[in-house]
Amino acid sequence: MSRIGVFVCHCGENLGRTVDAAEVARASGTLPGVAHAIDYKYMCSDPGQALIKQAVAEKKLDGVVVAACSPHMHEKTFRRATAGAGVNPFLCEMANIREHCSWIHENRPAATAKAIDITRSIVEKLKRNAPLEPIRIPVERRALVIGGGIAGIQAALDIADGGREVVLVEKGPSIGGHMSQLSETFPTLDCSQCILTPRMVEVYQHPRIKLLAYSEVEAVEGYIGNFTVKIRRKARGLDETKCNGCGQCQASCPQKKIPSEFDAGLGKRSAIYVPFPQAVPNIPVIDARHCARWKGIVKGLKKLACGKCLEVCGRGAITFDLEDKFVTEKVGAVVVATGFQLYEIGRDHEADGLKGYGEYGYGKIPDVIDGLQFERLASASGPTAGKLQRPSDGKEPRTIVFLQCVGSRDPAKGIEYCSKICCMYVAKHTMLYRHKVHDGRAVVFYMDVRAGGKGYEEFVRRAIEEDGAEYIRGRVSRLERDGDVVRVQGFDTLSGEPVTIDADLVVLATAMRSQPGIETLAQKLSVSYDRHGFINEAHPKLRPVETNTAGIFVAGACQAPRDIPDSVAMASAAASKVLGLFSNAELEREPIVARVDEATCAGCFHCLRVCAYGAVERKEIRDKKGNLIKVVASVNRGVCQGCGTCQATCPGKSVELEGFTDPQIYAAINAF
Amino acid sequence: MRDLQDLAAKLLTEKTVGLVIGWEAGPRGARPSFVTDPKDAGKLISDNRCVHNLAAYLSPRRPHLRGFGRIAVAVKGCDVRAVAGLLRETQLRREDVVLIGIRCGGVHDTPTGVGPLTADNLADRCVGCEVRDPARCDHVLGELPPSLPSRGGRRAARIAELEALDHAARFAFWREELSRCVRCNACRQVCPLCVCERCLADKTDPPWIESSPHPRANLAWHATRALHLAGRCVDCGECERACPAGIPLNLIGRKVAAVVERRFGYRTTDDPQVPAPIGAWKPEDGQEFIR
Repeated sequence: MSRIGVFVCHCGENLGRTVDAAEVARASGTLPGVAHAIDYKYMCSDPGQALIKQAVAEKKLDGVVVAACSPHMHEKTFRRATAGAGVNPFLCEMANIREHCSWIHENRPAATAKAIDITRSIVEKLKRNAPLEPIRIPVERRALVIGGGIAGIQAALDIADGGREVVLVEKGPSIGGHMSQLSETFPTLDCSQCILTPRMVEVYQHPRIKLLAYSEVEAVEGYIGNFTVKIRRKARGLDETKCNGCGQCQASCPQKKIPSEFDAGLGKRSAIYVPFPQAVPNIPVIDARHCARWKGIVKGLKKLACGKCLEVCGRGAITFDLEDKFVTEKVGAVVVATGFQLYEIGRDHEADGLKGYGEYGYGKIPDVIDGLQFERLASASGPTAGKLQRPSDGKEPRTIVFLQCVGSRDPAKGIEYCSKICCMYVAKHTMLYRHKVHDGRAVVFYMDVRAGGKGYEEFVRRAIEEDGAEYIRGRVSRLERDGDVVRVQGFDTLSGEPVTIDADLVVLATAMRSQPGIETLAQKLSVSYDRHGFINEAHPKLRPVETNTAGIFVAGACQAPRDIPDSVAMASAAASKVLGLFSNAELEREPIVARVDEATCAGCFHCLRVCAYGAVERKEIRDKKGNLIKVVASVNRGVCQGCGTCQATCPGKSVELEGFTDPQIYAAINAF
Repeated sequence: MRDLQDLAAKLLTEKTVGLVIGWEAGPRGARPSFVTDPKDAGKLISDNRCVHNLAAYLSPRRPHLRGFGRIAVAVKGCDVRAVAGLLRETQLRREDVVLIGIRCGGVHDTPTGVGPLTADNLADRCVGCEVRDPARCDHVLGELPPSLPSRGGRRAARIAELEALDHAARFAFWREELSRCVRCNACRQVCPLCVCERCLADKTDPPWIESSPHPRANLAWHATRALHLAGRCVDCGECERACPAGIPLNLIGRKVAAVVERRFGYRTTDDPQVPAPIGAWKPEDGQEFIR
């Protein structure tokens, strides 16, 4: 490369203040191999870019160095301009004389001298650059959505409606998630199931959605556009293709006293069960822990107990097939929408460093319940058919005390974040209660009320002003059972007075936590998560639904506490990202990837072990007769992210990173 | 000694292996021996002169030994760690080699050593040896000799002395030591874990390490060698023994090993399943170097 053009930017005053750009251009012009060097006020502007294109054409330049800001800022801009001028874009390099020089120095002559050094170094690097072509990867235009709550449902529907196939994997027997358990939703008080179940049915009937309920992601391999996902289909104990969901088996099951997960433990279910009548798919599962026959089969007993469901099933669907099955799906993108769990404050979460709140007696005092249990009590489809009856004696509570921020915003006990939805659902609970029990007393202990959202503040005001909820600012130190009441001992921080209230029912707004096992899933997907187990987004503001692994997106409460509108918005955003990715049959990406010199690779595979992306593979080298000569490392260009760890690790320097090869770096260093 | 000769003859006669690598007596002490004919097995020895780490001959950098088919090699407990290193880095397949473990009561400083071991002539690495009874071998020969002569360990004392020096004095020490290096590459050739097909020092584009023996190039070479062996060095001391200039290379190896142990909790081991720190990552790994 003998005809390099150097273009020095003033970046207005940013550079001009401490670096003499004209002097940098003059000095660079004298370097061997530099055919053209000029400075300009704003290189990234249209006229600035035109200057580059014009110079390339007129002076027949074969390489471009732009001495300006960080490559992170404008490398793409200038490479595009270079390509526009007919030169391979990877023969354009940036000398960072802004962040690395002008911004951090005050002495103008010294800074100018340093800028000249930096520019010379990059000119020397550029002389050893090679033209590179973008990598094209075929895209499997199907998506996997993990989690069948409202976020997963929305993402699946949006992608499917956009014309692409979706595989929706749900861990539980039915999709619907937490939203299906709610009674009414804030801030409109519309019935949760009434708006959700049509969506669930739509998922089930959608020709492009393949629903795999009662299934979990077992293993994920591959990379953006080309994931291979192994899915464990947990044994339901019956043949899904034969079952028509008549429900006879449930009715016949003698085990009827198992606490129902759907009713948050307040209702009962049988051992063979559909979690709720509107479940999708409407196919039962057999609960291995409670079914006597299943347990007998596992133990290998000759004489098996029960078998009532077998007798009543008219379609011979019940198989007691205990084996989990595996299916493999090829997809091009993944949406993670695994949702949340409520903080079980009644017990010690030693592994997570959380102590629980034993002083609130949750799990010991029957009339101390959490928000989700209140939803079930208030729900028309709940265990009490929507009649508010407290768990201990079925009495209608005359006074309910609601505690906000139980677990949340308490750094001393482990969770410092705000669970976001509790202020709103507590306000909703007070309203639901007062609508059912007009003369009842609803008291809320709060730290502050966070009602940011469309119609949210108005909703809380309505609870206080129209529905008569009493808000007390302060925390509760202790809950004690006294006869048939729960004594609430709190402190009103506004009046400075201790408060004691005898409540018939206490509802705790416990914190939202990430799903158990999310770390394992995140590791399978190679996405990062924070210390609370929430999936990290790629950028908190500008890339909120992408993860730092290309092709994997995130939606809903698995990323942070989210309410329904947020979750749905995120899901639609993730779906639009997926559809964007699927808009082309091929994916184009930068060719800044590692390359192994197979002739000198010793096959020690340190590179394979250090690769964070699983991009390094073993490759056998054979002679013409098929005899194995050696096994070497090989980089999958589709997976490689160009981090260079393998290059740094290789003891024999048999790995090069395109665009940052050893000869380039060596030349750049030597130029100083 | 007889059992080694008998076993070597048996393995060769039965064609279990095509080559037995052991030690023999030479004009200047013990030396490596390559036996292909069962009749020659009688020249093999195994005593306290058998200093050499013969695992070096299993490295794929010695393809001329591949033509013999399976190879049997005599190893002391400490040498098994080098075999483990080769297995760990997929440089060797376990089924291609028969390991003949020799129970060891320590070795001399040099292969020319004579007579019983004393605190003065015992090799440094034998002090506090925990692998006198070799593990993971196909055959283990000999009786476990009585325990080693104990000694404070000259090497540990020298490392402590060097650490006590200030930076400039320490640098002066190494500049002086390394100035004698003639870049003969004996340290590299004898090292059982130097397994690269093309050594970084032989790379010319770019010439990261200059090949001529001058202070800057010598420092670059030995510093690079130390880092490439960090968490891989098995402390066999062969580099120091092979060095014609008498540079205390093993001091560097030991110092790096101590740092690796402190940082990553890894000690050289004869278990190939234990990952070496270079390619392993643990959440509890210290990250002080990037703070």
